[in-house]
Amino acid sequence: MSRNLYRNLTILGLLSLFHTAYSAAKHRSYLRLKEQENGTLPLDIILQAVISLIIAMIGIVNTSGEFKEISATKNLERKSWETLRNVPSFYVFNHRGKALSPFYEGGISN
Amino acid sequence: MVKTKISKSGEITAYSEVAFRNNNALIEFCRTSACALSGCTAGIMGLTGLQGFAFYFCAVLGLWCLLLLKAGPSWEKYFVNRIHLLTNGFFGGLFTYVLFWTFLFGMVHVY
Repeated sequence: MSRNLYRNLTILGLLSLFHTAYSAAKHRSYLRLKEQENGTLPLDIILQAVISLIIAMIGIVNTSGEFKEISATKNLERKSWETLRNVPSFYVFNHRGKALSPFYEGGISN
Repeated sequence: MVKTKISKSGEITAYSEVAFRNNNALIEFCRTSACALSGCTAGIMGLTGLQGFAFYFCAVLGLWCLLLLKAGPSWEKYFVNRIHLLTNGFFGGLFTYVLFWTFLFGMVHVY
């Protein structure tokens, strides 16, 4: 839910940045028509650029994922000793326990 | 899988390398995106010369604050050093920044 919100925030910031670029280009061509080449951008365009940068950065930092705890014991805390020494490669099924089965047929007949 | 570090008091702390690498990749992603975005903004605002580099420094500081905010008050659980978060990849990010800065500056102000 909140991750979705941050993704929308990123998209909003990027769109706003794009709109700012368009306004700045328009203002530049307006200055060119008025033949004053050394004009600076108006304050509202600069403010919009900075605010949309902040919004997009907040969105990106929060959508990128969660930090993991770097302490080595953190992952082992939740595991029991049985989980740790469980090695599937060393499972043996062909042992004498099968003689206890009522359906065992390979043994000495009685 | 496990890294160790001896602190000043002689205590040995063990870190999980997988979590370590995961955090570093995450920070790298945030840093690259933030550099590209701030470069775009600098180009749009038409910053030139030293102003642009000062803006980069502000953007990196802002990213640092955002990362610390995301980590919360217990940042020791996620990073070994807080200052490395600020300085790691500073110049690598600068190149990304200059690339986007010049690109957007050319698109908006020159053509």
